[in-house]
Amino acid sequence: MDIELSSEDLAFRDEVRAFFEENKIKEGEDYFSWRLGWFKKAREKGGWDVPKWPAKFGGPGWTPTQHYIWEQETARATIPFDLPFGLGMLAPILMSYGSKEQQERFMPDIRDRKVNWCQGYSEPGAGSDLANLKTKAVLSDDGSYYTVNGSKIWTTLAHVADWIFCLTRTDDSGIKQQGITFLLFPMKQEGIEVKPIITLGGSHTVNTVHFTDVKVPVENRIGEEGKGWTYAKGLLEHERTGLAGLSKSLVEVEQLKENARSVQRGNGTLMDDSSYKSKVAELEIDLMATEYTELRSLANAAAGEELGPESSILKLKGTEIKQRIQKLTVEASGIYSSAWGDGGIGFPFAKGGTGGYLNSRYFTIYGGASEVQKDVIAKKVLGLTKGSKK
Amino acid sequence: MNFELSEEQKMIQQSVERFVQENYDLPKRVEISSKDPGYNKDYWGSMAELGWLGLPFNEEDGGFGGNQIDTLVIMEQFGKGLVLEPFLANVVLGGGAIQMGGSEELKREILPSLIEGTKQVTLAYAEQQSRFDLEDVATSARQEGDKYIINGQKSMVLNAESADHLVVVTRTSGGQVDEEGITLFLVDSNTKGLEKQNFPTVDGLRASEITLENVEVNTERMIGDIDNGFEILKAVSNNGILALCAEAVGAMEILYKDTVEYTQQREQFDHPLSDFQVLQHRMVDMFMEYEQCKSLLFRATMETIQDPKMAQKTIHALKHLIGKSGIFVGENAVQLHGGMGVTEELRIGHFFKRLLVIDSQFGNADFHLDKFTDF
Repeated sequence: MDIELSSEDLAFRDEVRAFFEENKIKEGEDYFSWRLGWFKKAREKGGWDVPKWPAKFGGPGWTPTQHYIWEQETARATIPFDLPFGLGMLAPILMSYGSKEQQERFMPDIRDRKVNWCQGYSEPGAGSDLANLKTKAVLSDDGSYYTVNGSKIWTTLAHVADWIFCLTRTDDSGIKQQGITFLLFPMKQEGIEVKPIITLGGSHTVNTVHFTDVKVPVENRIGEEGKGWTYAKGLLEHERTGLAGLSKSLVEVEQLKENARSVQRGNGTLMDDSSYKSKVAELEIDLMATEYTELRSLANAAAGEELGPESSILKLKGTEIKQRIQKLTVEASGIYSSAWGDGGIGFPFAKGGTGGYLNSRYFTIYGGASEVQKDVIAKKVLGLTKGSKK
Repeated sequence: MNFELSEEQKMIQQSVERFVQENYDLPKRVEISSKDPGYNKDYWGSMAELGWLGLPFNEEDGGFGGNQIDTLVIMEQFGKGLVLEPFLANVVLGGGAIQMGGSEELKREILPSLIEGTKQVTLAYAEQQSRFDLEDVATSARQEGDKYIINGQKSMVLNAESADHLVVVTRTSGGQVDEEGITLFLVDSNTKGLEKQNFPTVDGLRASEITLENVEVNTERMIGDIDNGFEILKAVSNNGILALCAEAVGAMEILYKDTVEYTQQREQFDHPLSDFQVLQHRMVDMFMEYEQCKSLLFRATMETIQDPKMAQKTIHALKHLIGKSGIFVGENAVQLHGGMGVTEELRIGHFFKRLLVIDSQFGNADFHLDKFTDF
């Protein structure tokens, strides 16, 4: 066991830091042209614009340690926003299961951040029980197109998406994991209606999407008909790891402490308050442990082991940590935590704090609710299934 | 020992329950909340007509001579509909302070019109730096002839937007955190030098930041004795806690019951959610927290009526438990409703928000736990 970074890794870290420093947005610079320029320069570094893509598809081909370093550094640096749907969710599926034509058709625009994608998985009746899909896709008699009817829910940023990758049901005669087909189609077309869902924090990021007789050419199908579940499933385990968001939490805990230090209490600050500071300490301890749980899983991945059900631990712990950070922000705001909106009432950090906390309740629900993650661990790791009595 | 309500209290309970059922479904509440003044004036008028606004006031001031149990009965039912009308600000806080410390003239001037629903009063006590400490008062009142000149700032003043008068907590002597040297004044809302910055709160109610710049107030408008306002403030705050906790208990009842109902309807993995033991036990926990909160609410209320001083420790215990359990019940109601729980479309999120706000008023769970350990 050895936790020291090698000299190569240290050099890599410095290089990443220097890159972030050199390419920070300058005062008065237009955000969107800076963003595109940033990705162009990152690409010139050797695929830094698509860090998670394998070298074969133009990615940097980093070691797990390098990925870890990148994650740590991005959490602290000023880098442009990026959306995970095309880059992190669809692209890996295209790489593994898409045809050569599909890869050439869709991946360049994903890489250039030209096309926004959204993910059409969840449905009103299919939450954590994702395979319970009802959206129907019926193949035309001549076999040239599908007609899609049904509804999706919790579709993040569907209202700004150009395309959707969508799980549809083409056959309901077998078990529910069978008969699911993976289709891609444009969002801006007749027969697609997007309705906003306003969350408790008062914001609009998720939507319901309704499909009425949407025609999808058969060449937009990934892989074989009826195998869509297999394609999507592998990605869900990766999604879980991503949802833990530990490096961001590390930065947020530092911010949390700084906020609490700005709240005067008697001769000290809120960070001198014994119950508040114990809660922050407990949070930090859990975060320290979870960081190494993540590192151990990265090390396994480096040794060539499959990312397995252990990713559920990261999702569980990581999302609980994120919720606790939000809750402690609300507590730090004190009486001002009940002020709503951006009216600038109370402490600067109180703005959006309660909205953030309310929206954070979603973290233990999406990507497989916590109760389901625990089921996965019970069954797949501990072997606790019905009839497992020894 | 007797936990039965009197016949009159039972009638009030039924009448408030009916009012909430008839007038406070979610769409209606959202509509009322989004329009000025943030509550329904006709509802306020009905509450006055039904005598609810006069319930805890003395008969000689136009009230019905009730006590904290009457307030509990009303607030618990209000909690089941998240009623927006400013009962707490007027009857419990502003009116409560006047009842406790106001001169006979002041009581005669203000309380009848408050009970009739024609004039409104609120309490302005918190300040930016005070967090939850009632005695931390920097707003100063300086005597000048037969007047006092008030300068300072007050935070998170409930319902100030609609209030005709504010009971303002000021410092007339001593250091910023001394209990002695605090004095209460009744200040008219439209007095020169008083500015309100109004804003909505997380739970759909309204509050204001108030600045007072050389605000003049006559000595007759003093509530209680000079430098001895803290006792009144403390008693009003305790009554405010009892009222808020009764409302919270009502809200918790809705949350656990809605969750039980929802999980019996929602199917996942080919079963209703209520078939899963892990969720059953969670709902049992929610239910038990609700029952425990209700027990402590009864205890604190009855002890307060018997002897307010002796009840102080129980009040700290109550506000701690309500804060902690309220958020536990709210978070789990959302969790068990899944994604729908995080939307504005179901009522549970709104009840959760109210519980969150209640924890931030008159001291949160941590604050009262700390106070409890002082006893």
